Amino acid sequence: MDQFAIPDGRYLLSAGMDDLVRRMAQAPARTDQRAHPIFAFVAALGGLGLKIADLSAALGLAFERGPVLARCRIGYNAPLLVDRHYDVRADIEALERKPSRTFGAADHLHLSIRLSDDYPRSQTRLHIIYPADRA
Amino acid sequence: MRRRFEDISGDDMAAWCALLNDDNAIHLSREAAAAAGFGPRRVNPGPANLAYLMTLVGRDFAVLDAQFAGNVFEGDDLTAEVSQQDDTTHARLLRGAEVLVTAVFKEKP
Repeated sequence: MDQFAIPDGRYLLSAGMDDLVRRMAQAPARTDQRAHPIFAFVAALGGLGLKIADLSAALGLAFERGPVLARCRIGYNAPLLVDRHYDVRADIEALERKPSRTFGAADHLHLSIRLSDDYPRSQTRLHIIYPADRA
Repeated sequence: MRRRFEDISGDDMAAWCALLNDDNAIHLSREAAAAAGFGPRRVNPGPANLAYLMTLVGRDFAVLDAQFAGNVFEGDDLTAEVSQQDDTTHARLLRGAEVLVTAVFKEKP
């Protein structure tokens, strides 16, 4: 899909944010600069050049009806480190409407989001399902 | 290897949403969750559920592939379990016998 370009974004991954995630995920305390690996997802979505709600609206997707995450794939080139800014670049890989047993019809959004500083750190691919009105 | 994650916090869902820059109201409001057809409890953000599995795996990996088959709600008691096979770790997050998340982690070569 090339109709909409997602603006580049940035994400500050602070030690305090990592501490919070570790508490919520019941993970051990950090022993070096490496952040919890879920930040490949958190920074990807949190650092998009626009909120997921605004991206959804721009694409005509029913964000207010409660989209759900169906699948994610993450590849790590190197660990994410705390107290660093990351550049966030994202592309829409696909957007398609399909019949849905739950909703009648659903829009399937596929995003690819890359994090880098002076080095490519991770690539996160998300498949998000939005309720739709009709097939 | 197994681990319990008990009484999933509704308040933590708001913190996850702040980190994710995500306004999805099903994570923030019981009324919104009900209106969207999820029932009367807030819905845990998907990455939070994945983070529990990552915590249990507890080491570096190169690739993961996760599928989200069901939702986690505030107050849920969950079990995470992992099994190792060569360079691959299989993980599941369950509520009772219901499988909510499955994930495959591949180690660094």
